[in-house]
Amino acid sequence: MVKLEDLKKEATQILKSGKVKYIIGYAKGADGFMPIPTFISDPEDVENLTWNPACVHNLTKFIVDEKKRLKKDKNPDNRPIGIIVKGCDSRAINVLLQEKYIDRDDVYLLGVSCEKTGVVDEKKLAKTLKGQRVVQIDFEDNGNFLVTTESGSEKIPAEDVLAERCIECKANFPVVFDIVFGEKIKRQVDKPFQSVETIEDLSQEDRWKFWKEQLDKCIRCYACRSVCPMCYCDECVVDTISFAVEPDTSAEEKAQKIKWIEKSPNLSENIVYHLTRAMHLAGRCIDCGECERVCPLDIPIRFLNKKMEKDAKNFFDYEVGFDPDQPSLVSSFKDEDPEDFIR
Amino acid sequence: MEKILQKKSFPKWVEKLDAYEIYSPVKKDNTWSYEIINTPGDIELDYPNAVQAPKKIINPQREVFLEFGRSDDDTLEVTEVLPEEKSVVIFGVRPCDAKALTLTDLVFSEDIKDNYYGKRRKQTAIIGLACNTPPSPNCFCTSVDGSPHSEDGFDILLTDLGDRYFVKSLTNMGNDLINLGKGLFVAPKANEKKELAKIHADAEKKLKRQVNDVEKIPPKLKEMFESAFWDEESMSCLRCGICTYLCPTCHCFDISDEVTSVAPFKGYRIRTWDNCQFPDFTMHSSGHNPRPDKASRLRQRIMHKYQYFVERYDHYQCTGCGRCISKCPVGIDIIEVLNKVRDYG
Repeated sequence: MVKLEDLKKEATQILKSGKVKYIIGYAKGADGFMPIPTFISDPEDVENLTWNPACVHNLTKFIVDEKKRLKKDKNPDNRPIGIIVKGCDSRAINVLLQEKYIDRDDVYLLGVSCEKTGVVDEKKLAKTLKGQRVVQIDFEDNGNFLVTTESGSEKIPAEDVLAERCIECKANFPVVFDIVFGEKIKRQVDKPFQSVETIEDLSQEDRWKFWKEQLDKCIRCYACRSVCPMCYCDECVVDTISFAVEPDTSAEEKAQKIKWIEKSPNLSENIVYHLTRAMHLAGRCIDCGECERVCPLDIPIRFLNKKMEKDAKNFFDYEVGFDPDQPSLVSSFKDEDPEDFIR
Repeated sequence: MEKILQKKSFPKWVEKLDAYEIYSPVKKDNTWSYEIINTPGDIELDYPNAVQAPKKIINPQREVFLEFGRSDDDTLEVTEVLPEEKSVVIFGVRPCDAKALTLTDLVFSEDIKDNYYGKRRKQTAIIGLACNTPPSPNCFCTSVDGSPHSEDGFDILLTDLGDRYFVKSLTNMGNDLINLGKGLFVAPKANEKKELAKIHADAEKKLKRQVNDVEKIPPKLKEMFESAFWDEESMSCLRCGICTYLCPTCHCFDISDEVTSVAPFKGYRIRTWDNCQFPDFTMHSSGHNPRPDKASRLRQRIMHKYQYFVERYDHYQCTGCGRCISKCPVGIDIIEVLNKVRDYG
């Protein structure tokens, strides 16, 4: 098991020695059991760090902010930032390295092993507990979580409340790290694509009906884009205006900004948005599932990414985020790549 | 007007409202939302609160202003599009969301009357449901001049008394709706009024969260415009639009033209919700943005609700529904932010 004390000890040490400028980790939230991302630069605040099955967030997203700050800073502090990474999050680091978005020494990775379990799905947990208010959730031995509610503590089999992505996870242990906490436990995943297969099995007609209903709900809050560690473009295809405007950009140039996707939150535009997003993540998505977790309207966005992942695996034997040196899926080819779908 | 309606008579009353378009909370894949219902049996009032406030019905995310196009002889034709005339009833509205409408009324009916909003507002009856228990663990309406049984913005307020509803009509529109169900409603007895008072009083005690001394916040905020506080508080913000789009009081909008067909040329001028958390919000054509980073955008959200609006209209532009807290992907908690503001420095 990951010992929080060990994690805190290392965090204190790297902050005190000045090895990192700050650490991004998890801390207890103001209310409820869900932790919040925290940014620690004072060793005294390391006390606030926490690690439990509700540490769902993929903290590698905050690298984008750091890059932006460094760009603006006249005297940038180029020391690495410390980040706590789960297995899935560490795969995101590998993709960012592969895409040369970051250098390896931009980050100091404090890996945490999910061992036999993973993180919780808040909605499943609420359903299992039938509305009881959760105060705290902790890892227990033998694949259980210890859930404390207002009326007491109980052991729950993790598999009942695990996030879907954890059930299909291929990296319960970080694939890249500077130091790691917890054990490396081999975990067999027999059906890594079982969730998306339930959609694939539907008839074309039913699939269309399913997606029409789901994507019609979208209010285009772009939380799925905002939370994604791979969505780091300065200007996104959905932005209505150009951010590359300089004082001498002509009015004509400004007006020429192509609107790929209109602001109207209707089915047609929503579909273009979500499919564009999915395509941009083909060969890049590491299945941290954050896009789906944050969706306020419960749109099962992860299916789209999972389908891309499945096709990449089946057609091109490509897996994301295990090797930072592999050529990227969409910018490379092999002689044996299939061509039968090119018409 | 105060009445009692047996729950078993409720569908019969709704049947009498067949001249109205009826919205009610409906559960779809685990999520509650206001939808048009076709049979009275589809109305579910045993529910917490909808993810999206009924704001989406009165002030829809996309409103068409004009339709434009070229006719056969190549002249440009522009036609104004107004909201469809109809009578609408929304059931199951929570007090925080109804109060939010009264706040948006101030904005859209101040010096310039907004025909689109105004028309929808006028033709829509809001039937409330008092909160006997807080619909969300993050409810804090009592901190911001609200209550679980506030009557602000309602035509009728229902309170669940177990097998009956205590029905209080607050407007002529409400009276008319009750009159359509004549015979189904009876006058409340003294003990039922007592029961009502007890339920309302108990409901207030059940609220778990609050912002103390909220009146200290607006003057404090006024001094905090340049504070480093906003950098600290916004560190984890992702720049998504959840807090603002789900907010029952947020009403900022953008107007744009959308061309739907090039030949023949056709399109719409539309109003869509805008969002102060997005990077293109208040972006100038020069490329300058007075709110260039997430610190200034979080500041805008808090300042608008707890300073600018208070200064202008003497109300908090927040009704304590807790949606922005419950749905924030990184747990940014407005109650916590406000408590810190109050105690800052």
